[in-house]
Amino acid sequence: MAVYRRPARQRFVLLVLTLLSVTIITLDQRGQGANVIEGVRSGVRDAFAPVQSAANAIASPISGFFGGAFRYRHLQNENARLRRELATARTRSLQVGSIEGELKSLTALQHLPFVGNIPSVTARVVATSPSNFELTVVLDKGTGAGIRKDMPVVAQEGLVGRVVQVSGRRAVVLLLTDPSFNVGVRLSRSGDVGVAKGDGAGRALSVDLVDPSTKVGHREVVVTSGLQESVFPPGIPVGVVRNARLRAGALQQDVSIDPVVDVRRVSFVKVLQWTGSS
Amino acid sequence: MDGLLVIRVRLPLVVVLALVVQTAVLDRIRLVGVAPDLMLLLAIAAGVAGGPERGAVTGFLSGIAIDLFLQTPVGLSALAFSLVGYVVGMIGEGVLRSAWWIPLTTALVATAAGEMLFAMAGAVVGESQLMRPHLAAVAAIAAVLNAVLAPLALRMMRWAVDGTGSAAGAVRGGAFAR
Repeated sequence: MAVYRRPARQRFVLLVLTLLSVTIITLDQRGQGANVIEGVRSGVRDAFAPVQSAANAIASPISGFFGGAFRYRHLQNENARLRRELATARTRSLQVGSIEGELKSLTALQHLPFVGNIPSVTARVVATSPSNFELTVVLDKGTGAGIRKDMPVVAQEGLVGRVVQVSGRRAVVLLLTDPSFNVGVRLSRSGDVGVAKGDGAGRALSVDLVDPSTKVGHREVVVTSGLQESVFPPGIPVGVVRNARLRAGALQQDVSIDPVVDVRRVSFVKVLQWTGSS
Repeated sequence: MDGLLVIRVRLPLVVVLALVVQTAVLDRIRLVGVAPDLMLLLAIAAGVAGGPERGAVTGFLSGIAIDLFLQTPVGLSALAFSLVGYVVGMIGEGVLRSAWWIPLTTALVATAAGEMLFAMAGAVVGESQLMRPHLAAVAAIAAVLNAVLAPLALRMMRWAVDGTGSAAGAVRGGAFAR
């Protein structure tokens, strides 16, 4: 323990730590050390899995109790509304069932993958990102349940994101609202294609490369295109058009879409066991 | 117990505890989508409580720990946090702190600077999505949240790197108190 101050030593410590950090960053990004670091990441994540589950088990009943006590009236109304919607949906599903069969046989004829046919793993969201700089969620299943890197993740309504990191018992999903997220999309009415990009939590996705001559309708559904060995199979709903405008002289339209899934509230998801090459 | 041994035992303990809180509890306590950055706060508190060297070492450890849970390259937080811990320690050296608001202000300013530094360092190594348009807003909210947690973190860090665990360490004038 230092009895007197040693500024030279302090600077030396800072220099060593800085160089060490830079070395680790370099190794992780492009060196042979990437596998080792990935191994450490997976190990630590799995070791923390029980802690996260315990925190979940403690936190969710508490918030659930207060939520239930204060919002009893609201829940009653919601229950009634859901019952009505369920009745309508049951009728709809009977009609859709026959159409789906038709679509299946058609897509099979064209040798196209159909989302309904892809095997999937249902998983629960156990945590969100600990950082303010990335939008991810953690699922309670990993390689043990057949989840691999780059698999698409959906909720009932549509696309949630894709698996970016997976360990034995946990998988990390990059949400479609993250600024580093890209997905090839197709406008459902015109069939025109583009690339949708995330723009941060709670913000609309922007779609690039939409032709100026394309007519884009308000609330038009946008689905994944599945073009060029894409990570995503075609036909998964991504969002609905919020607005589209064409600035004078621009070579593409400014289209923004609202995601169909509210990724901040999603609690159960399906991981489609689909990888681009298959 | 020997002072250095105390640090070697207590510091990793505090870092692991903070990691548990950050990954399992704070991820759901968000103000408009922004959570406090406890790991960065540890580095700042260590700088205040123990000087530049301990600030840097704590920042490195807490940074590496949280890096393992992020998608950005491992070492990025370690780089940013150790620099912040060092600078906070250096600036704090000459200050005789008895006012309650000095640690709060330090946490506020240093957190904002740390978040910006992290994003900029990330942009340099190719993670350009970190430099978002509303980066300043994210940094500002995280800074306020961290300032609220600062007294608690400082108390923990005084226990971990100073061995006093009480406000008595607050009048640490510099080297002779260590």
